[in-house]
Amino acid sequence: MIQTFASSIGGFVLGQLQFVGGSTVLFLHSLKEALKPPYYPQLIVEQINQVGVRSMSLIVAASLSTGMVMSLQFGLGLEKFGAKLYVPKIVSLSIAKELGPVFTSLMFAARVGAGIASELGSMTVTQQIDAIRALGTSPIKRIVIPRVIACTIALPLLTVIANAVGTFGALTVGQFELGLDSGFFIQKVITTVKIGDYINGLLKTFFFALFVVFTSCYYGLNVKEGTRGVGIATTKAVVASSILIVVSDFFLTKLFWIIEKWIS
Amino acid sequence: MDFIKVIGFKKSFGTKQVHSGVNLSIQKGECLGLIGGSGAGKSVILRSLIGLEKPDEGRVVFDGKDITDYTEDELVNIRKRVAYVFQGGALFDSMNVYENLAYPLREHTKLGEPEISEKVLTKLKELGLEGNDKVYPAELSGGMQKRVGLARAIIMEPEVILYDEPTAGLDPFNTVKIQEMISRLKATGVTSILVTHDMPSAFAVCDRIAMLAKGKIGAVGTRAELDASPGGIIHKFINGEQL
Ligand SMILES: Nc1ncnc2c1ncn2[C@@H]1O[C@H](COP(=O)(O)OP(=O)(O)OP(=O)(O)O)[C@@H](O)[C@H]1O
Ligand SMILES: [Mg+2]
Repeated sequence: MIQTFASSIGGFVLGQLQFVGGSTVLFLHSLKEALKPPYYPQLIVEQINQVGVRSMSLIVAASLSTGMVMSLQFGLGLEKFGAKLYVPKIVSLSIAKELGPVFTSLMFAARVGAGIASELGSMTVTQQIDAIRALGTSPIKRIVIPRVIACTIALPLLTVIANAVGTFGALTVGQFELGLDSGFFIQKVITTVKIGDYINGLLKTFFFALFVVFTSCYYGLNVKEGTRGVGIATTKAVVASSILIVVSDFFLTKLFWIIEKWIS
Repeated sequence: MDFIKVIGFKKSFGTKQVHSGVNLSIQKGECLGLIGGSGAGKSVILRSLIGLEKPDEGRVVFDGKDITDYTEDELVNIRKRVAYVFQGGALFDSMNVYENLAYPLREHTKLGEPEISEKVLTKLKELGLEGNDKVYPAELSGGMQKRVGLARAIIMEPEVILYDEPTAGLDPFNTVKIQEMISRLKATGVTSILVTHDMPSAFAVCDRIAMLAKGKIGAVGTRAELDASPGGIIHKFINGEQL
């Protein structure tokens, strides 16, 4: 009993170490290979469509409802203190700095991370990755790098959209449920959210995109045990990238804060 | 001189040792049949010849060069010369048959679209697959996928072809077609290794046959040499006896 417990903990730790080591190696390989030709621009375009354009409806729906709910909750809560007028400030700031970036990234991890891990997993199992290598080409160049570039471009852009849509949702609720004039709302948003806050949030998503794409590529390319392994890899990829997002969020926020202070 | 050489090849997966010192050599222009039970490690040997797998111990020598420790970059030049025909075809399922066949040409040659198209359609015809160029791999039967895989492997006119069970699961007509194809390629000077369970095919096209059993090459020789040793390991294997 204790022995199986100990060995399963051992297995877990080993798995985590393999993940950290393996995905770091993958990252370094990709950096190295990205500098040498051939390049595959049309694969990048395809991937931007796949991971970015096709995630749009999910992101719009999620951010719209988040913005609306936030506005409603804060509105009803603050009304008791007669502080309803602070809703635009609070909501827009939390969307730009935290909720927009983190929510969008988590959605992205679920949709795109799962997609990449399962696609690469199936390619591994059906020996398509081996075939790419056997034909004298590089899976890192053809498969990993286009996805990395697409994700690091798409996720910040999706966040821009999510921020705008979320703020719009908050504004609509403010107008129709809380009786806040939309002109007033917009003016408050503009005077509250500084460009720095906004860029901070977007910069974070660049790192989140790297976490999602390398995690899911790593798990996909290392599938073992056939199709069953594909399911396991997909789950692991989503869980690991979500955890990385929420945990690194704290450290990135702190880091940016230090850098910001240091610059000014 | 030996064109391809495997020396003291050892490989384990987990705690299971699959190869315990395989020695094998192939001459230029020769066709070697590699037989052995399921799970004996034939595919792993074949994969190591182009560096898809590394031995734990031992060397792999290709055309006088020790390629055992080659990096993926260095292996590209080997892989352009050596084609690998995968057991299941390993077609890219995001591309149609035409794109699959055009892939190596686009990656490694500067041919224009008309030449690529001509080469692809000719190859498809040779393998009895005409009219399937726009079809996606998922819509093909297993046997057809295998033949497309073969077509993709040989479209670059490689010097060496490694066949992993190219006839398994094919009907007799197509089996003969593939046999003929292998013989025809051999006649043009191609060196080949044919992994198979299909003894008639092996005897029909191979110059020598090697048998992998218990982690080593149990026997190797020409058909005549094998016939001269009744009761040998290959006879037992063919007759379905316990090894
Ligand atoms: N990536 C791997 N991970 C774990 N075990 C492996 C791996 N590749 C091969 N093996 C093991 O090595 C042994 C040899 O496999 P291999 O595929 O070479 O057999 P084979 O001789 O080609 O069999 P078959 O005729 O069925 O294709 C098998 O027992 C297999 O389980
Ligand atoms: Mg095999």
